[in-house]
Amino acid sequence: MTAPTRPARQQQDPGLRPVPWRRMAWVTWRQHRFALTGAAAFLGAWAVYLWLSGLQAHHAYAAATACHPASSFACGNLISEFNNTYGARSEAVASLLQIVPALIGAFVGAPVLARELETGTFRYAWTLAFGRTRWTLAKLVPLAVTLAAAVGAFSALLSWYYAPFFADGNQTALAPTVFTLRGVTFAAWTLATFAIAALAGMLIRRVVPAIAAALAAYAGLALAAALYLRGHYLTPVVTSHQNLPVTAWIISQWWTKDGTFAFAPWPPDSLARRICPISASGIGNPKSANPLQCFAQHGYTLWHSYQPVSNFWPFQWIEGGWLLALSVLLIAATVWLVRRRPT
Amino acid sequence: MTALTMPGGQEPAAEPRPLPWRRMAWVTWRQHRFTLAAVAVFLGGWAVYLWLEGLQVHRAYAAATACRPASSFACGEIITSFNYAYGDIALHSAVFLHMVPALIGAFAGAPVLARELETGTFRYAWTQAFGRIRWTLGKLIPLAVIVAAAAGALSLLFSWFYQPFFADGQKTPFAPEVFDLRGVGFAAWTLTAFAIGTLAGLLIRRVVPAIAATLAAYTGLALAVGLFLRQHYAAPLLTTGPRLSGSAWIMSQWWTKNGKFAFAGGPPNNLLMQICPSPGPYKQLQETVTQCVVRHGYTQWTSYQPGSRFWPFQWIEGGWLLALSVLLVAATVWLVGRRPA
Repeated sequence: MTAPTRPARQQQDPGLRPVPWRRMAWVTWRQHRFALTGAAAFLGAWAVYLWLSGLQAHHAYAAATACHPASSFACGNLISEFNNTYGARSEAVASLLQIVPALIGAFVGAPVLARELETGTFRYAWTLAFGRTRWTLAKLVPLAVTLAAAVGAFSALLSWYYAPFFADGNQTALAPTVFTLRGVTFAAWTLATFAIAALAGMLIRRVVPAIAAALAAYAGLALAAALYLRGHYLTPVVTSHQNLPVTAWIISQWWTKDGTFAFAPWPPDSLARRICPISASGIGNPKSANPLQCFAQHGYTLWHSYQPVSNFWPFQWIEGGWLLALSVLLIAATVWLVRRRPT
Repeated sequence: MTALTMPGGQEPAAEPRPLPWRRMAWVTWRQHRFTLAAVAVFLGGWAVYLWLEGLQVHRAYAAATACRPASSFACGEIITSFNYAYGDIALHSAVFLHMVPALIGAFAGAPVLARELETGTFRYAWTQAFGRIRWTLGKLIPLAVIVAAAAGALSLLFSWFYQPFFADGQKTPFAPEVFDLRGVGFAAWTLTAFAIGTLAGLLIRRVVPAIAATLAAYTGLALAVGLFLRQHYAAPLLTTGPRLSGSAWIMSQWWTKNGKFAFAGGPPNNLLMQICPSPGPYKQLQETVTQCVVRHGYTQWTSYQPGSRFWPFQWIEGGWLLALSVLLVAATVWLVGRRPA
């Protein structure tokens, strides 16, 4: 019997076609669906509350501003009631909202790598055909983008909510408690916290300490940015005029005499008692009407350095920019550490 | 060969002596030393900050009050600069301190049971000779006591820190941003957060979701108590006096005319248009609107809690929080006993 034979052909190795990124996106969703839905539920609950409370505030503000004549008792009363009822509430909300980027970034970002390292499943995940570098990127980048987009949409709601409180010029848009809630910085802080948490997870290799470390790092960075960095993104305006716009963000003030620095921020009590002593009654004395005039008459000039509210959007882009650069750097460092780690 | 024999003595079987609680205390320390160290560092950092800032605050306040004559411009300026420099910092410190019980309860309380259940080591821990009920109690109670005591110590420091802002009687001790940071409230809230954390850890059986659930539950409870519950601890007092002391906690205000209820809160717009239409700069509004309305025969009633009720309210709140914590820990222990191993 003869069997027909054919020479062995060098077939193309059907081979190692790289696993498509789309499959990895499904893996990322599967592994982090609870974290992402938890973050969505958290933002959703906030959105419902802000929507309802914001509608009330907008109605009250519209009623207060539609009132005529604007200088009567009745209309002034409406405005002060608006400030009392809704102003205090909006300040409390602003304080609570500061922790939203921290919580979302830490709880979604820290377990990405820390959970794999803590439970040992990295030995399986990193030895797949997909390769550990692409695996890490395919996890971190989509999660980061999704979080930033969701939180960015949420901050649009925040801008709408706070619109009445800025419209009457009673609050400066650069005030630290509200600056990070609007524009691009809310999403940028969430992105930065996510990147910090991912790196912390890679370094600490335990989930709960990584979450705690990410929260602590956010707190430190946010305080440093608000207290020290933000005032100097652009050179502050220095002026000796006394009628600063209410919307200006005052950084510091000091007094000079004859062109040389005298004291800051207030006159020392020994000097005040010497040159502007007021009789015990104090009432009816023209000097007591304007304390600044008393010092001005003695040759002292009060200087302020401030940031005008027109710097709001430049500051937003500056802060968003360096936070984005920091996030990219931290994610790159995380990926580099994943590659370096001997399995 | 003969072997000496003795009849087998009926020795009483050696009773398994229960393990002493002291050994369990060592186990608790070993398993939670990092958590306790982290809590110590966290609270220690706050203590250092409150101590340093508090020294400055007290020094500045002493300088402000030592100024003579007290009603001169210069002394007024010193008080203004004191409030300007330190009022904001004190308020923000108080706001941030509210997160401490939540964080301690979540990060110290939730992993106690959740970690055992998540990793499966409960199968080893609960089949020891020590017994799972005693094991749970030997973990939860020492940790709860330590955490509450540390928080209580920090709240003493905070009371010292905040004392100058209350001293002139212009701020009510019931202000929501400071009430639960002083007295026994801070320790009680930390204890409650810890109890919530352990129960959440047992029910959810996963550490990170338990931490998130604890934070959410504590926030909900604290908001509900602060906004709705606290004002009903004792029946508020009513008065028609125009000026209450600054330390009173004003609940609500309403106006009557000829003994019948007229309106609540502030005067409605249409009424003001009728009876007080004269324009005036609205910076002085609060005083003159009230006077104008009073002139037309309206009486303002205020319901308030006097500042002297601060400590009774602290005991009431601390008491029911303690009862809630005991209940939650008891529920946790009962569920541990019930769970099929």
